[in-house]
Amino acid sequence: MVHLTGEEKSAVTALWGKVNVEEVGGEALGRLLVVYPWTQRFFESFGDLSTADAVMKNPNVKKHGQKVLASFSEGLKHLDDLKGTFAALSELHCDKLHVDPENFRLLGNVLVVVLARHGKEFTPELQSAYQKVVAGVATALAHKYH
Amino acid sequence: MLSAQERAQVAQVWDLIAGHEAPFGAELLLRLFTVYPSTKTYFKHLGDRPDEVQLLSHGQRVLEAVGVAVRHMDNLRAALSPLADLHAHVLRVDPTNFPLLIQCFQVVLASHLQGEFTVEMQVVWDKFLTGLAVVLTEKYR
Repeated sequence: MVHLTGEEKSAVTALWGKVNVEEVGGEALGRLLVVYPWTQRFFESFGDLSTADAVMKNPNVKKHGQKVLASFSEGLKHLDDLKGTFAALSELHCDKLHVDPENFRLLGNVLVVVLARHGKEFTPELQSAYQKVVAGVATALAHKYH
Repeated sequence: MLSAQERAQVAQVWDLIAGHEAPFGAELLLRLFTVYPSTKTYFKHLGDRPDEVQLLSHGQRVLEAVGVAVRHMDNLRAALSPLADLHAHVLRVDPTNFPLLIQCFQVVLASHLQGEFTVEMQVVWDKFLTGLAVVLTEKYR
């Protein structure tokens, strides 16, 4: 559960309304794979990830990034019950995908940096709200691990 | 640790910050304290709500040290030895705090450079700042 004030929730929603969810997803996943190249271990079937340029233009990365962000978007509508919202995905990431939950925190941080490119409107307070949200999502995705 | 090309990229981004150490540093610290309030425990002397003057002054000091690191990328340990001593024996900032500062640094860069904040800049600065943090905490024990 993420505790945001009414003001924080409005600010988070307002910025999200301006976000091109499809584009930001691919951008965030691409940046994760370049900035933390060991995360590529989960995407060996994605094709050419040999250079930063190849990663950012890779259609599988873009498609998967979109999928991940759509899921995140859904989470934003259920900030009061992230654990419930992400329960099934949590089981999937543990039992089938075998992803270390640290990767969720890394992706969350990269997403915040991508959102920061909006400029001055990404105030410290807005960053703070979004860091709480991404931390909450990461925790929810790790919740069913065993 | 950093290739010649990476060092050039670090320097290229630094050129955008040089001369603006105080406002950059102030924003960096403001974000750090706002997003990760526990980090304020290392700055008791600045009080619960550091004001602009304090943030600019301390921010400048932090960014000037980053500037020293940029100018001595091939010899970081020697160049930062006094700062490493300070962090090991006086400040003793828990090493887990450096990634928090680095995250805020990336956000400052991204919000100022916006569309121009390329993935290459992000990876190189993450690598550089992480290396810097290693040097600053190396003498801890």
